[in-house]
Amino acid sequence: MPDSGRSLVPRPSERAPVRPPDGRVDMPRLLAAAAFGLAVEARRRSLDAAAVVVTRVGSPLRILAGPAVALAQGSVAVARHHLDLDRWAARGLAEQQRAREAATRAIRGVIAAVTAAVLDQVDLDQVVARVDLDRILDRVDLNEIAARIDLDEIVDRVDVDAVANRIDLDAIVARVDIDAILARVDIPALTEEVIDEVDLGEIIRESSSTMASETVDALRVQGMRVDGLVSRIVDRILLREGQRQTGPLDEQPRP
Amino acid sequence: MTRDIRYAEARALQGHRAGFASRVVADLVDLGVAWLLGLSALVAAGVIGYLVTGPPFRLPVLPNWLDGSAAAAIAVGYLGVSWAATGRSIGKQIAGLRVVDGGGRRLSLWRSLTRALLYVLFPAGLLWVLASRRNASLQDLILRTAVVYDWAYHPADEAQPPVTRPSR
Repeated sequence: MPDSGRSLVPRPSERAPVRPPDGRVDMPRLLAAAAFGLAVEARRRSLDAAAVVVTRVGSPLRILAGPAVALAQGSVAVARHHLDLDRWAARGLAEQQRAREAATRAIRGVIAAVTAAVLDQVDLDQVVARVDLDRILDRVDLNEIAARIDLDEIVDRVDVDAVANRIDLDAIVARVDIDAILARVDIPALTEEVIDEVDLGEIIRESSSTMASETVDALRVQGMRVDGLVSRIVDRILLREGQRQTGPLDEQPRP
Repeated sequence: MTRDIRYAEARALQGHRAGFASRVVADLVDLGVAWLLGLSALVAAGVIGYLVTGPPFRLPVLPNWLDGSAAAAIAVGYLGVSWAATGRSIGKQIAGLRVVDGGGRRLSLWRSLTRALLYVLFPAGLLWVLASRRNASLQDLILRTAVVYDWAYHPADEAQPPVTRPSR
């Protein structure tokens, strides 16, 4: 029956319990349910009565019932043909589908509304205050997380020049109290330490001795050159040929 | 103690007989050293006299014969001892020279003192270096000694250090 679907599956506008908490009675639904129950009871009793009649009257009635059944079946076929029962069934099924979708939408709306209401009632700060963050952090492996982070890529995306340009070094330096810093440095002690580390005496000795020896060497070389020059001049005056025999003593014949 | 000689020509001439100019420079320095020694002796004598006789402080004035003899003695002693000890007086140290015998060895004390005495008596003997083919003075000829270039600070008794002989 097409109208039964309408009554059994509630539309959004019809959705309401048979007996809501406030005690009010939805009369249309109550009447429909009562009629259904009445019909079921009537059918049961009529079947019981028929069974009694069949038992008592017996075969004569069965003989009469055969044509009656045939008549009823024929009536149903005729009615199906003329009343277009299939169309009514399709309409009922469509109505059921529509009602199901409507119910789904309604439930979703209810969930959203309930969630919002719950959140309104819940003080998240208190909830967070009751959370033991330390225990959570204990379970977090920060090293593993850090291993997953590609720092190079992040650094590549940072414009260091731009950051440096935004730093006002003059302002920073202006805030530094150099006098206070110097006042905290024990310069005499520092100087003594440096002097202790650096053997100035050794440096001066080395440099002066090197200078002295180099000066002496230069003078000696000049003496050698003058020696050779004087010898050549004298040899030329004396009309000598060949060089003087000034070689190493071992090569010289004993005089 | 030895050290490197930076000048190639100087390295080549180590152990060779020294020429006139170097020896004159060395002897002039030694003359100054001897003069300072004499002056020091005079001052020392003056101080001693001051301590003994009291003020005024003045240097002793020696008679001429004693003055000359004392100067000569100081010079001979200074030169002879230094040549015998290391082969080089202060002047020869500065000039990079060393006095050796004919074999390149250190002189004996008496030979050294004799050489010093000959120089004090006849300094002009040094001029023979100009004429000698082996750069020898008259004293060198008499005593068979030689003066060589030797910048190294090696003990005088060691043989001459190996040198690169000049290509002739």
